[in-house]
Amino acid sequence: MNSSLPILERLLTLPQVLSSTPMLPIGMTILAFFAANRLYVVIGRPVWLPPVVPAAIILAGIIALLGLEVDSYLEGASWLMLLLGPATVALGVPLYQNIHHIRAMLWPIVLTLPIAASLAVGYTLVIAWALGASPTVMASLAPKSVTAAIALGIGDIIGSSVPMLMAALLITGVFTTLCVEVATRLLKITDERVIGFALGLNGHAIGTVRAFEISSTAGAFSSLGMSLTGLFTALLLPVLFNL
Amino acid sequence: MRETSVIHLRDSRAPPMSILRGFLILVLFFLLGESLRLVFLVPVSGGISGLMLLTLYSMLTGGVGNSVASASQALISVLILLIMPGLTEIFFISDRFSGQWLAVIVSLFVGTFLSVITTLVLLNALDRKLSGRANSHE
Repeated sequence: MNSSLPILERLLTLPQVLSSTPMLPIGMTILAFFAANRLYVVIGRPVWLPPVVPAAIILAGIIALLGLEVDSYLEGASWLMLLLGPATVALGVPLYQNIHHIRAMLWPIVLTLPIAASLAVGYTLVIAWALGASPTVMASLAPKSVTAAIALGIGDIIGSSVPMLMAALLITGVFTTLCVEVATRLLKITDERVIGFALGLNGHAIGTVRAFEISSTAGAFSSLGMSLTGLFTALLLPVLFNL
Repeated sequence: MRETSVIHLRDSRAPPMSILRGFLILVLFFLLGESLRLVFLVPVSGGISGLMLLTLYSMLTGGVGNSVASASQALISVLILLIMPGLTEIFFISDRFSGQWLAVIVSLFVGTFLSVITTLVLLNALDRKLSGRANSHE
C-alpha cells in the first residue's frame, strides 16, 4: 500500500487492495452465510424463503457496499467454491445410508426419472418459446434443474449465457421448494422419499438443502434425484439442441 | 440409522484428524471422477461422478468409515455457503436480456410448477402400483 497517501485515502482504498487476495471474499462469504442463517432462524425458518436467498442478497449487499468488482470478488471466492466438488461427493454418504429405501423403490424411480427430467426441460422450453424467448435464453433455461457444476458444462456445449443460467438455477431451486411444499399439501403426499426425490430432481442442490431439513431420508432421495437428473440431462440436452 | 442433520453440527464429535482423513477420501473420489471426465470425455462433473463412485464403493464394501461420514456431514452442512458466490453474480447483470425477463420468469415458474406436480404424482402412483407394499418410510 502506498505510504505517501494520507491515512484516510489508505482507508478508502482498503477494500480494493484486500480483495486482491482471496481472504476478503472468503471472509465476506462466510459472514453473509452466518448472517443469513441467523436471519432465517429469527424469522422462523419460513419455507417460502430458503436461506440461500437472503444469503445471496446479503453477500451482494456487502459487495456493493465495499464497492468491489463482482469479478474480483468471484476470483477470490473461487477458492471457497472449490469445496463444492468434494461436497457433492459427500452426498454419497447419506445416499448409501438410505440405500435400502432406494432399493425398495428402484423401479418407480427408474421409470419416473427419464419422464420427469425430460418434462422439467420440456415444459419450460415450450412456454419460453411460445413467449418469444431468444435461442440464447432458451439454451440458458434448459439446464435449469441441473446442479451448477453439470449445468455449466452443458451450457458450454449448447451455448447458454452463464449469468442467465445461474439466475435460472436460483429461481428454479427456490421455486421448487415452494411448489413442493404447496403441491404435497394439495395432493396429500406425505412420503418423504417422494418429496425428497421431487426436490432433488427439480430443484438440484437448493432443493437438496431443503430436503435435508425435512429428514436424512428425504435428503438421500433428493441427492439421488439431483445426481440422476444431472446425468440424464447432460446426455439429453446436447442431442436436443443439435436437432 | 445415523441421522444426518444439516443445520446442527453438535453431533459430529470426530477429532479433527479424522475429519481431515475423511476429507482426503472425498477429494480422492472427486479427483477420480474428474479423471474419468477428462479421459473418457463424459459430460458429467467430477463431483457427480465422485458421488456415484463413492455410493458404489460403499455398496461393494459395506459402508464408509466414521471419518468419511463426519467429513461429509460437515461439508453438507455448509452446502449453501458454497453455492452462494455463484448466485450473487446475478444481482449485477439484470440489465442484460431486457425484454426477455417476462418469458424467463413465466416459463420458469409455470414449467417448474408443472414438473414438480408431474414428479410427485408419477413417483407416488408408480410406487403404489409397483412396490405393492404400503409406504415403508418411517
